[in-house]
Amino acid sequence: MDIDNSKEWHWFKGGILVSLLSVATFFIFAAIAERNYPFGITAGFGFIAAKFGSLFEGLNENPVIKRFGEKPDALIEFFLLIGLVMGGYTASKLSNTFSTENIPAVWEKYHGKSLVIRYIFVLIGSILLGYGAALAGGCTTENILQGWAHLSLGSIAAGISFFAAGIVTAKILYPKVGRTQ
Amino acid sequence: MILLLILFGLVVGFIFGFILTRTGITKYPRVIGMLLLKDFKILKFMLTAVVSSMILFYLLGDIGLLKVIPKNLDWGKLVGGLIFGTGMGILGYCPGTMMARMGEGKKETILALFGMALGIFIYALTIKTVKQLFLLGEINGDISVLLGVNRWFIIIPAVLIFSAIIYFVNKNFDDNKKIF
Repeated sequence: MDIDNSKEWHWFKGGILVSLLSVATFFIFAAIAERNYPFGITAGFGFIAAKFGSLFEGLNENPVIKRFGEKPDALIEFFLLIGLVMGGYTASKLSNTFSTENIPAVWEKYHGKSLVIRYIFVLIGSILLGYGAALAGGCTTENILQGWAHLSLGSIAAGISFFAAGIVTAKILYPKVGRTQ
Repeated sequence: MILLLILFGLVVGFIFGFILTRTGITKYPRVIGMLLLKDFKILKFMLTAVVSSMILFYLLGDIGLLKVIPKNLDWGKLVGGLIFGTGMGILGYCPGTMMARMGEGKKETILALFGMALGIFIYALTIKTVKQLFLLGEINGDISVLLGVNRWFIIIPAVLIFSAIIYFVNKNFDDNKKIF
């Protein structure tokens, strides 16, 4: 399967730009949201979960629902999610890589065209992603991009676990890739 | 004030999403290629960002402009990490790249958005049990405090190790090799 990579930025350029964004957001978060941490992603999804949770009276005192429902950084990160969609849209339009697709082409090649099967996997995978991010105190952004940069022991453990489980899962889903080459 | 928070979120998200998409970090074959240990562009991107921000954070910290508070270690980090990693392997993207991919027109990410929020909701329902099982008994996450040495004795070796990894994978693996 051929992918057009010719228009991509170099990894070094992307990496440096992200580090500058991390440092800049650290200061702004500290100033406006009383938080000692650069930008993250998980609390934005937490905000959606908290809004859903607030529909149930029994969950008013739930610490997770309260944390994501009331802290200003969760609100910021919810809009950060919308910003991500806009950024991805603009970048893909500018580099002519925008394309609507139902499921990833590589998945289709190895696991068939069935939307139902892929969507079942997407649902299970994303529930695990949300649960795991909440339990691990953040996703790849918080725990690797930021946490490794802070040399946090917790984030180093989380990041290594991300890769360990991800490598095993990818190997189970694509056992034969690369063997014939 | 609330408008300022909203605007800040939108701007940061826009820049981050733009960088992720423009660098090709969002591509499904790249993520799976990395997890199959065949395509290391994402790893190089991440470690570059880590090394660069590590130096910036601690230099700015030393001159008193900011204070980094490392995350503590508990069982939740390991167990949650394994659950997250399994999800990432199944999906072929993480939460940030999921949203950038949505902007690129990838429809399944809308389902993934609701699934991720549902995962956090389920976490909220199980928080009492989870807390007792995994979140008590934290270990201080600041390695330099644990070892009782100056931060730079940790930072400099970390920078060297990460740079060596970047150099090694860059030399031995071609980002544009056909994998699938």
